[in-house]
Amino acid sequence: HGTTPALRRMERVISGRVTGNDGPLPGASIVVKGTTVGTTTDTEGKYTLRAADKATTLVVSYIGYLPQEIAIGNRTTIDIVLQQDANTLSEMVVVGYGTQRKSDLTGSISSIKAADITQLPTQRVDQALQGRAAGVMVLNTDGAPGGNTTIRVRGMNSINGGNNALIVIDGLQGGNLNSLNPNDIENIEVLKDASATAIYGSQGANGVILITTKMGKKGKPMITYSYNIGVQNLRNKLDVMNAADFARTVNANIATQTGSGNIPVPMFTDAQIRDYEQTGGTDWQDVVYRTATLQNHQLSISGGTENLRYLVSGGYLDQQGILVNSSYKRFSLRANLNTDITKRVRFGLNWAGSKEAGNSPPFGDAGISFLGNAVNVAPRWAPTEPVYDANGNYSVHRPGYGASDTWNPLASAMEPYIDNNTIRNTLNGYLEFDLLKDLKLRITGGAIIQNLNNQRYYNLKTKEGVQYNGSGTVNTDLYTRYQNSNILTYDKTFGVHRLTATGVVEQQFQKSSGSGTQAKNFLVDQTGVFDLAGAGSVVNSSSASERVINSYLGRINYSYKDKYLLTASYRADGSSVFGKNNKWGYFPSASVAWNASEEEFIRNLNVISNLKVRASWGVTGNQAISPYGTLARISSGSNYPYNGNNTTDLGFYIASAANPDLKWESTTQTNLGLDVAVLRGRLTATVDYYHKTTKDLLLYRELPGYTGLANILSNIGSVENKGIELALGGDPLVGAFKWNTNFNVSANRNKVLDLGTATQISYKTTVGGYGVNKNFMYLAKGEPFGQMYGWQYEGVWKTGEAEQAARYGQLPGDPRYTDLNNDGVIDTKDIKAIGNAFPKFIFGWSNRMTYKAFELNFLIQGTKGNDIFNQGRIRLEGPGEGTSARLLDRWTPDNQDTDVPGFIDGLTRQQANLTNKVLIAGDQRLSRWVEDGSYIRLKTVTLSYNVPQALSEKVKLSRVRAYVSGTNLITLTTYSGYDPEVSSFNGNDAQIGVDFSNYPPARILTFGIDVSF
Amino acid sequence: CKSLEENPASFVTPENFYTSKAQVEAAFASSMNNLWSAWDGYSYGFGPFVNDDQIYGGDLNISISQGDGLWKAHYEALLNLNNPISAIKKGNLRGVDDATVKQLLAQAKFLRAFNYFMLVRMFGGVPLLTEETPNTAQLQVPRAPAKEVYALIVSDLTEAAANLPKTWPAAQKARPTSAAAKGLLAKVYLTMATAPLNDVSYYQKAADMALQVMQEGTYSLVPKVEEVFSLANKYGPEMMFSFNSSDDDLATDPQIWAPGVMGGWGDFSANPIWERTYPAGPRKAAYLITEYNGVPYTKWPGNQAAYIRKYLNISTADFNSYRSTSNIPILRFADVLLIFAEAENMAKGAPTQAAVDAVNRVIDRANGNVANPARPRLTTALSKDAFDKAVIEERNLELCFEYDRWFDLVRKRMLKDVNPEWTANFSEDDYLFPIPEADLRMNSLLEQNPGYPTPARN
Repeated sequence: HGTTPALRRMERVISGRVTGNDGPLPGASIVVKGTTVGTTTDTEGKYTLRAADKATTLVVSYIGYLPQEIAIGNRTTIDIVLQQDANTLSEMVVVGYGTQRKSDLTGSISSIKAADITQLPTQRVDQALQGRAAGVMVLNTDGAPGGNTTIRVRGMNSINGGNNALIVIDGLQGGNLNSLNPNDIENIEVLKDASATAIYGSQGANGVILITTKMGKKGKPMITYSYNIGVQNLRNKLDVMNAADFARTVNANIATQTGSGNIPVPMFTDAQIRDYEQTGGTDWQDVVYRTATLQNHQLSISGGTENLRYLVSGGYLDQQGILVNSSYKRFSLRANLNTDITKRVRFGLNWAGSKEAGNSPPFGDAGISFLGNAVNVAPRWAPTEPVYDANGNYSVHRPGYGASDTWNPLASAMEPYIDNNTIRNTLNGYLEFDLLKDLKLRITGGAIIQNLNNQRYYNLKTKEGVQYNGSGTVNTDLYTRYQNSNILTYDKTFGVHRLTATGVVEQQFQKSSGSGTQAKNFLVDQTGVFDLAGAGSVVNSSSASERVINSYLGRINYSYKDKYLLTASYRADGSSVFGKNNKWGYFPSASVAWNASEEEFIRNLNVISNLKVRASWGVTGNQAISPYGTLARISSGSNYPYNGNNTTDLGFYIASAANPDLKWESTTQTNLGLDVAVLRGRLTATVDYYHKTTKDLLLYRELPGYTGLANILSNIGSVENKGIELALGGDPLVGAFKWNTNFNVSANRNKVLDLGTATQISYKTTVGGYGVNKNFMYLAKGEPFGQMYGWQYEGVWKTGEAEQAARYGQLPGDPRYTDLNNDGVIDTKDIKAIGNAFPKFIFGWSNRMTYKAFELNFLIQGTKGNDIFNQGRIRLEGPGEGTSARLLDRWTPDNQDTDVPGFIDGLTRQQANLTNKVLIAGDQRLSRWVEDGSYIRLKTVTLSYNVPQALSEKVKLSRVRAYVSGTNLITLTTYSGYDPEVSSFNGNDAQIGVDFSNYPPARILTFGIDVSF
Repeated sequence: CKSLEENPASFVTPENFYTSKAQVEAAFASSMNNLWSAWDGYSYGFGPFVNDDQIYGGDLNISISQGDGLWKAHYEALLNLNNPISAIKKGNLRGVDDATVKQLLAQAKFLRAFNYFMLVRMFGGVPLLTEETPNTAQLQVPRAPAKEVYALIVSDLTEAAANLPKTWPAAQKARPTSAAAKGLLAKVYLTMATAPLNDVSYYQKAADMALQVMQEGTYSLVPKVEEVFSLANKYGPEMMFSFNSSDDDLATDPQIWAPGVMGGWGDFSANPIWERTYPAGPRKAAYLITEYNGVPYTKWPGNQAAYIRKYLNISTADFNSYRSTSNIPILRFADVLLIFAEAENMAKGAPTQAAVDAVNRVIDRANGNVANPARPRLTTALSKDAFDKAVIEERNLELCFEYDRWFDLVRKRMLKDVNPEWTANFSEDDYLFPIPEADLRMNSLLEQNPGYPTPARN
């Protein structure tokens, strides 16, 4: 087949290349004006088209760029450079259950483009969000590879319900960011105000993160491969003493034990100390932390024909942790496919599978005793102790000094066998019908299937293992989530009126079932958890739960002359988890916007390219409650050897009382926003002010102790969040040297308005053995989240203040506390707020600079005004056992200018015969351990080099990019722990901000290469 | 669409539980577990009793939160006892014969009586919740007078003593026996005879009940004082009822009992003032740690105090592995002998030979059955008061660190005398713990004990 020679004579072939600001534009459309003759560019931006001889003009267009008309003349080769559309009016933004023109938005949405993520060697999507969107706080709560992050959009609404934003990946709710390959992401939208989130109703209160994955474009297959390799190191070591200093400090402390006529005997002889001076002793942090490697492979193939587009991508991440015996591996595979079945029917299918394997010795508050927690004990172990004993076994700490009750740090790190595996499969398909010209029906069905298989074994070289004669657990869990959404969209323009109406019927079903085995007393240590039949004691457990949500929702978008915009939505959610009497919740929203820049008088100013004023109001909800939470419950697990045998006997107890009235937590949010763009879009600004009130907060209403129940879940309580967000973007330099910069800063203030009958709810953010046995963090009416309570520490009594000190029964060198009520006694009446875990503001500043083939990206982000309770210091600075170098600065008669208490001679104290008025009995809820957690960090920096095309094409590669990148290279902070980004107790947001034995984050240096062909 | 109704698969609600013997017994196990926790329970729970004269660290400044944790723990236990009693009475148990029903009720009542006995001695009158009390979560009740609480205790223990078996099969050896119920009842009667009820008519009842236990012969003294707390004797012949631990359910880490020189944490030690008056002899060596490797505690680095050996009769290997399977007694036969001696003397107005014999069995054992001038035998020549004092002192020595001394100090009104350094801190109000602040706040019907503040009500 083919055209006849006669016809061919009347045609000519035109070819060329379409480029934009950032290089070739694949998929740009080229049409001969006034005809249907046209084509699209291939992956390199190249096109070839046959045009009639008489054709005069080409029309070239590409989303986000200004369309251009080009006279053909006599040319057969036409290269076209498109200009970016300054106010990107035509840019489309993904919103809940649809897309919308950016210019039509009435809500508050932050967008993050793929380029911002893929320019960096990011391992995880949640980490990539940090610092890039105003109002979005990302806290890496620990630094373990594959570790946890907390993401908060505009503060925290809930106390017990969780404040995690809803993750929606390609329309499927309940996605997981961990398993997602950052390379697969096309863009991320963060929906922040109620106008944007209310469409998600009972799941929208904490903001919604919409992720769209990449799709192939029409053209020949494009293959990209990228590889990077990194080295990671401990960013910052705790400042501990060397062996000689430590030995002298221990001796100095012992020397003060002269009470009751005791004659102290030094622990170390002078000869031993001289010896330590020579050898330096053991640096335990060097023993358990290492230089760790990281490797990341990415391969993707994408392309498309007239009717079919596809993308297949795979990734493999292999990250060692800086703590020995820790690592994280992720295999991911994705296949996205969509096809036009007929002109009016389209079909799409996304499948993503991942397998994650993570292991780390326990850290933080990880369910085992801190005595065998490597992160905890490494800095605390005496530098005078060797790693191994004379027989080559792990050494045991000598008794009588130091952290002698704790386990060998290296054994604690190396010997636990921890193997956590998660397999996730996400399947998501749709069929879309054009029912009428303006009416579309989209039927989607999706499933998330997640399988967890975790095994741990503590062998006879670990503390846990020795205690239980081998101790192992096996946990498996199967979680499935199904979603069916049926979306009807009507989209019509009537002259100056444009209307989009969306109606959705949706059902979601989740099911989770798990089982666990705890085994002890293993006859054979080597087989451990792999031979449970060999365990003397096995306790099995299992659980199952289901959750159903049925929803009906609708939305109308209306615009008049593109100037006046209105969005209104309404959602009704019925959920199984709520009380019999309150199964259904209703979530309305409304918003308006004025595109002032569309008005003649502003357009005529020729200064402002975009000016939009937005206002929105709406109600969103939080499911906040686990399945069956409204029912009274008999629970198992309160076992006790009632019969007196070696096995324990089953114990079943009444765990909770019923509350059939429980319902949603609901958040009412108002938002005022302003978008401005000037200098033809080279400078943009977005400002938002929001105010959120959450009521019917699900709180555990305290019950009197005589009821035998601690509490009952009830809808009481209310919190408020309000804040300001500012995002500035600009292109300060657009010439040969280009500079694009984006800055955002946001401040959130929150307040507990009501706690029902309680005036405060308090939390014990600690474990035993740290002198913090009473609750430390409070939620109190009128106070913000994250308040820490304790005694104000004023340093130590100086020699000149002996008389004043004596009034409190103290000697110079003793700690000094604020006597709040001036009653001459330091007791519980002197407790006050001594810190707050939440920052006054957070900010991020990202930059992209290009010059010829070089590109420099960097992100600076930080927080200001948050406090951290550095709990680890309590024992690191404990007299007699502490290894902290701070103890060298302790008070002595010759060292008055310090806040480290002295070692006071026992006999001196006895003879002073003072009556102690500091009645806090070793309680460590002291401002002494509260530190400013503010920081500014060069989070990432990447320098890349794009090999010139002329060169790369010689080796048949269309694109080659090489780069070097750093993460956490520079951190400015006064915080003295491993890292200011830390939170050890994450049961709820009232307890954030405590640093206890948490896995320290690494500093990472990465080298990488990307190639396409 | 799927239905929004919930049908939990992995648990049941209280309405459809307690339908079998095993389910009811699982509630009993839980009720003991409620009490046997390290924090706010009896496993590591000497904190609330630190103001006796034995535990180091007291000063008679009784904190406003003293006993809060135990209040909660006992009521949790009571919830898990009252509900099965109620279910049994409603006939929810299926396919169980009457004798078994009686025995189950008897166990529940023994346990319930024990819980109320602890509560009434710590707090005085308390809210008296029984199987008849509906809907606990919404409950606003006043405190019942102490007398009413004792009435329930006596009635529960009487029923328990009648229906509990004399012995249990070996596989259930730790369960309460009829003699344990009688022994506990003897202790209840003795307490009723002393402060605050001071109804001296109960002395005779206490003596009679104790004598029944002594004559019955189910329990006896462990011959050697060193072996009273050995693991082999955890469930008899002397132990009558205890907080139990096992290989599968370890007690709190043994390190809490041991001094730093032994590699322990030294959380609890003996008050040196008290320890210095403890007569030397085999019992002192068996119950206390006063030296380690020949070095007396006065020469130790760190805390210079004697420690408690009763709960450290475990192997070094177990100690180093943080494994303790020690039990803590709730009632043992030595206690019954001393209850008899005290009650008999007070009832008869002078020490009888039987009373003297009973206490001397304990003293002889303590001395290794040889004369010990530091702790001589008692005789009938003593006056009533002198004998009484000597028996209380013998309880002090024999039952030290067994949650007993505080209650002796309370019922004999001895607090002001035991430590001269604290006299200034003493007030009559110290004989009761404060009612927990949270309970007062949430229930305006509750009255605070004298000497403690009442919070704002809501």
